[in-house]
Amino acid sequence: MQSNKLGWILLAPTLVILFFFGVLPFLYVVFVSFHQWNPFAASPEMIFNGAENFRRIVFDDAFLSSLGVTVAFVVFAVLSELIIGYLLAQAFMKEFPGKSIFRTIHTLPLIMAPIIVGSVWKLMTTPSIGIIPHYLDEWFGITMNIGTSAPAAFLTIVIMDIWHWTPLVTLTLIAALVSLPRDPFEQAQIDGANKAQTFWHITLPMITPALVATIFIRLMDALRTVDEVWMLTGGGPGSSTRFLGVHIFKEVFPKTNYGYGSTISVIVLYLTIVVCWLLYVSMLAPRKNRKG
Amino acid sequence: MTRQNATQLDTAPLSEEENEKKPTTTQERQGFLPIETNAFDRCFISVVIWVAMSLFWFRFIEPMGASIWISNVIALAIAVHIVRKG
Repeated sequence: MQSNKLGWILLAPTLVILFFFGVLPFLYVVFVSFHQWNPFAASPEMIFNGAENFRRIVFDDAFLSSLGVTVAFVVFAVLSELIIGYLLAQAFMKEFPGKSIFRTIHTLPLIMAPIIVGSVWKLMTTPSIGIIPHYLDEWFGITMNIGTSAPAAFLTIVIMDIWHWTPLVTLTLIAALVSLPRDPFEQAQIDGANKAQTFWHITLPMITPALVATIFIRLMDALRTVDEVWMLTGGGPGSSTRFLGVHIFKEVFPKTNYGYGSTISVIVLYLTIVVCWLLYVSMLAPRKNRKG
Repeated sequence: MTRQNATQLDTAPLSEEENEKKPTTTQERQGFLPIETNAFDRCFISVVIWVAMSLFWFRFIEPMGASIWISNVIALAIAVHIVRKG
């Protein structure tokens, strides 16, 4: 009983902060999502309109289009980051000359703010002054202009995200790989398992919890990407890189449509929670037929 | 009983039978859902289904004239079933 009381006392500051900075704003956004509210209009008061915003959202082509673009971005970026991150983590498990320097350089993108990453990539991809369009043209004869080509803009954002966030995946997977016991691998070697079998039956199941945690972090981050994209393309050309975060920003700030923007935010949060929960259930939750 | 004996008894490992009888704080159980769930999980699943059903209803069923309240009643019935038998 004593330890329980002490536990609650120690948790109290965190719970209070979480309530005021996490739970209350969330409840407020849910509350606003049921209203029509433009605080800068002639009548700035909130007008309750029931589920009208939710009714509107399922027919909103701009929202559905940005949802599709976001899902494509999340699939391409997160999958690529996991594969490249795992391969790099395996490479860092071996000894090679210059390993510590390479590991430090490889981790550098992580310490950069997303808005800086966006502006650096904007400089690198601007047709007249950027290094990437220049060399693509000089070496391969490819003309690259992310201001006019939708596939080029989308691909550049995916590559930028991979460059920025793969080190995070690498670091978490290195931590997971380092903590693995050696015995199962030695036994598999004695039993004659090849590398693919060892990976599939030993490494992958043992690093699954770390992998799921990494996927959660990257998935949640990728679903609410705003600043890098805003800096690089501003959601264009057209609406080809108008991800959900950018769509919410445009709805709330330039259009000052706070009610509908809150509705989109609530739906994005709902989708994020559902996707993460499904992932958790499919990979980690105890099932009927494998209890214990 | 001395304090030392009490400590030994408290920390002694439970037998398999005792372990199964031991009440858990989360009260997980197996119902018709394919995973073990506690009360919070079942409420969460109900809310997720309710929201998904409502959005689906708004998009495809309501334009044909069926009120959203029908969806809410069905979602409530599903929620009760999941919470009780899930």
